[in-house]
Amino acid sequence: MLGEFQTMIWEFFPYILGGIVWTFGLVGGGLGMGFAIGLPVAAGQAYGSRATNAILSAYVWFFRSIPLLVLLFLFYWGIFPALGYKLDPLACSIAVLGIRSGAYQSQIFRGAIESVGEGQLMAARTLGMSKTKGIYHIVLPQALRVSIPGWANEYAIMLKDSAITFALGVLEILTRTRYVVMATMDPFLPYFFAGGVFIVLTYGGTKIINLVYEKTKVPGLIRRA
Amino acid sequence: MTAPEIVLRVEDLHKSYGSNTVLAGVTFNVTKRETKIVCGPSGSGKSTLLRCLNLLTIPEKGSVWLEGIEVTDPSVDINKARQKIGFVFQDFNLFAHFTALRNVSAGLEIVKGVRKDEAKKIALEALQKVGLEEHAKKYPAELSGGQKQRVAIARALAMNPVIMFYDEPTSALDPQLIGEVLEVMKQLAREGMTSLVVTHEMGFAQSVGDEMLFMMEGRILERGTPTALITDSGNEVTREFFKSINKLYGRFEK
Repeated sequence: MLGEFQTMIWEFFPYILGGIVWTFGLVGGGLGMGFAIGLPVAAGQAYGSRATNAILSAYVWFFRSIPLLVLLFLFYWGIFPALGYKLDPLACSIAVLGIRSGAYQSQIFRGAIESVGEGQLMAARTLGMSKTKGIYHIVLPQALRVSIPGWANEYAIMLKDSAITFALGVLEILTRTRYVVMATMDPFLPYFFAGGVFIVLTYGGTKIINLVYEKTKVPGLIRRA
Repeated sequence: MTAPEIVLRVEDLHKSYGSNTVLAGVTFNVTKRETKIVCGPSGSGKSTLLRCLNLLTIPEKGSVWLEGIEVTDPSVDINKARQKIGFVFQDFNLFAHFTALRNVSAGLEIVKGVRKDEAKKIALEALQKVGLEEHAKKYPAELSGGQKQRVAIARALAMNPVIMFYDEPTSALDPQLIGEVLEVMKQLAREGMTSLVVTHEMGFAQSVGDEMLFMMEGRILERGTPTALITDSGNEVTREFFKSINKLYGRFEK
């Protein structure tokens, strides 16, 4: 009994912990890609033509309406093969998490952009800035600061959502935990441990992002709901 | 004697939103060192006029000339032209994420490509001019309304404009803060800054205004010296307007 417990701690827990690297890959890749998609989408929604807006809104609506698991299967078995791409489970999972997060992040950024108001952009234009320069130098630096709390939330959600990629066999925390459960026939300790790992990662990551928020805070810049 | 140099020439400006005509043919000049006052009832087109002059709003018809260059000509680089027009808004529109100093230096750096230390120097001088150099490091949220508006004036001045536009610069201020902003504007006017001022501050108009345009329904209904219009207009509408303004703003007239 004691021997089994020791095996669990010294062999299986490190194996589960090794999944953190994969989980971070999923979360980092997904958040990064979501940022790269979400920010331009938000700018397009805030400043684009009506047609641009309609297209972008359709994208946002589509990816926010479908369960993540369905999206994963759809892209892994359907869309990517149909397009001629043979993506491995990790790459496909990052892509799906990223495209989906882009839809959610765009709404964080859009709200933040709108909270800055049009007056400041107009003032920038009276100084002779082009619209693009005004958005880049005046609106976005404020919008991004205001977005950080929402973004911390997105990190926490993405971290937990990343576990769903076990369905494609990505070697992240949950997949590894399941292997341990199968090997040891003990569901309690491994799942409990995995839960603990997620708690630590959620708490730690959110703390770090909030630290960045405090560091970049400017008096008076608060998101108006 | 040579004729005074014309800084801004406005010819037959028209603007409407749908069936609502806001400007119905406005024509006037602003000459160098002149302070021109624009007033009139709300909805008479004053703010739209200012916005049309630097093409924040595009007029449908008519032309605007700044120092002999037609800014309404589509081939003219409007961003270049706007650098020459200082614009002060009713609600300040300071950049909330910049300190007072950076608010003033940003245009120099980003638009004119002035080196950072040089821009800072010019910005400090501009802040000095409006009496706020000791507040240079504060953010807009840490300033009073009057101080904000003075930073906004410094921001416009730093670009070294040929003319200043003020769009009801004291209308959003608490009464006790209006004086400090008007003082700065008066000082600038006396130093010879060419200005076009939309305001209902009749004391200000009478002390530094060279000419006043009274607007009504998108047209210039009457023009003359501020004192003549305010105290001695032959026009019934103008008289009624200034009578009501006097009731509202009379407390500053002493």
